[in-house]
Amino acid sequence: MTRQLAFLFLLAAAACTEQVTAPGSCPNFCPTDSINIRDTIFTTIIERDSSFRGYVPSDGGEAMSVADLPGIVDSRAFFVLAKAATRVTVKTGDTTTTPIIPDSVRFRLSIVRRDTLATNLRIRVYHVPITADSTSTFASLDAAFNGPVVDSVNVSGLLASPAFIDTVQADSLERRFYGDTTYRDGGGHILAVRDSGRILDLYFHLDTLQAPVVEADSGQLGFGVRVAADSLASIALGTNEAGRPPFLQRFFHHTIPDTVSTQPDSVVSGNQTQTPLFDSFVFDPPSPALDSNLAVGGAPAARALLRVAMPAFLHDSIDVVRATLILVPVSAVQGAPSDSFRVLARPVLADLGAKSPLGTNSTLYGSTAIHIGASDTLNIEITNLVRAWSLDTTMATAFIIGQVPEATSYTEIRFYSSRAPAFRPGLHVTYVKRFRFGKP
Amino acid sequence: MTLRLAVLTLATVAAVWPSGRLAAQDSQFGIRGLGTPGKLESVRARTTGGAFAPFDAFSPLTDAVLADVRRMSASFTSGASWRSVDASGVQSSLHGTRFPAMVIAGPVTRRIVVGGGFSTYLDRSFGVVIQDTIDLRGVQQPITDAITSDGAIADLRIAVAARLHRRLALGLGLHRITGSTRVNATRTFADTANYRTSTARDEVAYGATGGSASLLFDVTSDLRLAGWFRTDSRLRADVGGHTVAENDLPLTYGTGLQWRAGAQASVAGSLTWRNWGAVQSIANAHDTFNWSVGAEIGSPASPFRFGLRGGQLPFGVGKTPTEVGYSAGLGRQFSGGRGRLDIGLERLQRSGTGLNERVWTFLLGLTVRP
Repeated sequence: MTRQLAFLFLLAAAACTEQVTAPGSCPNFCPTDSINIRDTIFTTIIERDSSFRGYVPSDGGEAMSVADLPGIVDSRAFFVLAKAATRVTVKTGDTTTTPIIPDSVRFRLSIVRRDTLATNLRIRVYHVPITADSTSTFASLDAAFNGPVVDSVNVSGLLASPAFIDTVQADSLERRFYGDTTYRDGGGHILAVRDSGRILDLYFHLDTLQAPVVEADSGQLGFGVRVAADSLASIALGTNEAGRPPFLQRFFHHTIPDTVSTQPDSVVSGNQTQTPLFDSFVFDPPSPALDSNLAVGGAPAARALLRVAMPAFLHDSIDVVRATLILVPVSAVQGAPSDSFRVLARPVLADLGAKSPLGTNSTLYGSTAIHIGASDTLNIEITNLVRAWSLDTTMATAFIIGQVPEATSYTEIRFYSSRAPAFRPGLHVTYVKRFRFGKP
Repeated sequence: MTLRLAVLTLATVAAVWPSGRLAAQDSQFGIRGLGTPGKLESVRARTTGGAFAPFDAFSPLTDAVLADVRRMSASFTSGASWRSVDASGVQSSLHGTRFPAMVIAGPVTRRIVVGGGFSTYLDRSFGVVIQDTIDLRGVQQPITDAITSDGAIADLRIAVAARLHRRLALGLGLHRITGSTRVNATRTFADTANYRTSTARDEVAYGATGGSASLLFDVTSDLRLAGWFRTDSRLRADVGGHTVAENDLPLTYGTGLQWRAGAQASVAGSLTWRNWGAVQSIANAHDTFNWSVGAEIGSPASPFRFGLRGGQLPFGVGKTPTEVGYSAGLGRQFSGGRGRLDIGLERLQRSGTGLNERVWTFLLGLTVRP
């Protein structure tokens, strides 16, 4: 009997599985209440919105914008290289130095953004004063940028020339995997295509006149860069902040005046590198002054702070399934198509106005691309952010919209603010009403 | 030793088993109502179509029959069901295991017996999945809704039965109707890039009180008549400490007749009425009438039972849904009559406007008298 009893209990235990869910035959055999969804555009809950400029200066950006778009902008990059040794110690333990004798210079610029449809894209390098700094303006540097050209190169021409394939890395069909494709011209310019073609490293071969060693300047040099093209003349150069700054490598030699050792008056070769102490760009016309609209972008970077007056019912009786921020641009952003950029909406940890600390939880961010020439209404999905606000009433219901990356371009977009009733920012929220559990 | 082990197992399972499994038998007919009424029957009674319930001390239907308990005893009922549902042509197969009743009773004096236990009053375990396409922001958006409820409303009973006369027993019961359901409503969107899944979860707690009274009259030594009545307060549904609904519960009354045709045969029949139509908050609630007939044949140590039942279900659109059932089973005593094992098989067919259900249920019951 014990065995039979155990068997029956085992049988009962084995049958302890559940499947109670079936396709609903509604409304007759479904719960009385149903999942109710609502879609509402809140036109007035964004309020006390403002813009502030100065978050990132043009010398702090991850790129330097260089453009020549007639009627739109003329943007020029410039940088001042760090000091370099003009003399070297000839003997260890001896304070005697001897001047270096420059031989040649290899100079690199990294083009981190360009318009691939640009034709006859030329880059021109100028000398700028080593005193150039963050206070320099387009006007103050204009003379330097209209002075003698140190060197120029036709990037389109280089790209159209036969390529040199890194045969170690490329396959038998000369398809490039991780190796670089290089191009060169008769002027000593070398163009290396990096990162699957997104980045171009452009090398110049400069002589001692183009890159002189001025002992009074402690070897410092200042360069400026302009661009020209048949159309779409807009590029961005890498900076210190992006890890791809302009880079100068100087090759030199010096003579050791040795009178006692077995190494009489020998010639020693060497080289040294210089990277920028400071890199920036100036453009004309400059970013316009802030007005009643919401400005995002430009240099120095502007951000918009928007505050949301969350209705109580959005906090406690609904489940937000989608939330879209609606912004109406004042006008289309002008520039070359490659100047398109992203804007990012980030929550603030506390609403302290312009100095509100930004949240770092990237899952709450919302972003969208701003396309040059497009004036359509802008939608930014901020579902996770609004859901977080809905669940946590202690969160500051405000967010900041900024350009990504900031202060790398002259481009700036302006949206209508809450002060423009017909075009003010809105929040489009799709939400599910609380299910009425407990009712038959 | 075996008996003690069985009692211990019984008590442990009863103590720790989650309330969501104290359900009787789910039905899609109960989704749009208060639930599916449980069957207040032991395996013995259920395999006779329910006809023996008024005369079976281990069926929690009536209290007076507890007067027949001469020793401390406990009984436990379980059932595994396989259900096929045809909802307007949409077929689905469902299954579940339930523990619908437990009764413990014992005499306190020669004439008075006290008992108690639990049974399922209303089963509220169900799940529905609804697929649809809705217009959202001007775009047709496919969605899937899943609404589930897991739990039941249990009837905790404490009862006393007294033998007033050699032929007459009276029973009174106090009922606490309590239970909870874990409920979940989820909407998922086909466009997961833009829409987040919405999930609402809660727990609904139910509560009510009730009282019951019953009489058992032995017309002759072979003929026994039973009658019972029960009333309950309104059923309160609370979510998060707030009452969200209050619903009337029905009056229940019924009668049964049992005839002992010799030492190895018994026949019984019963009728039950419940005025579920009084639940005014539910549009399609109906009064119900249920009948059953059944027989038990063979020695009391190992009888064979069979029965037939019919009647109505309280919730359903249009005409009152009906239920017909056939059942049969065996009993077997062991340990010198200190324990009894009952098994049974039940077939139910439920029909209503737009819905048909067919259910097979395997029943297992254990009764011990330590």
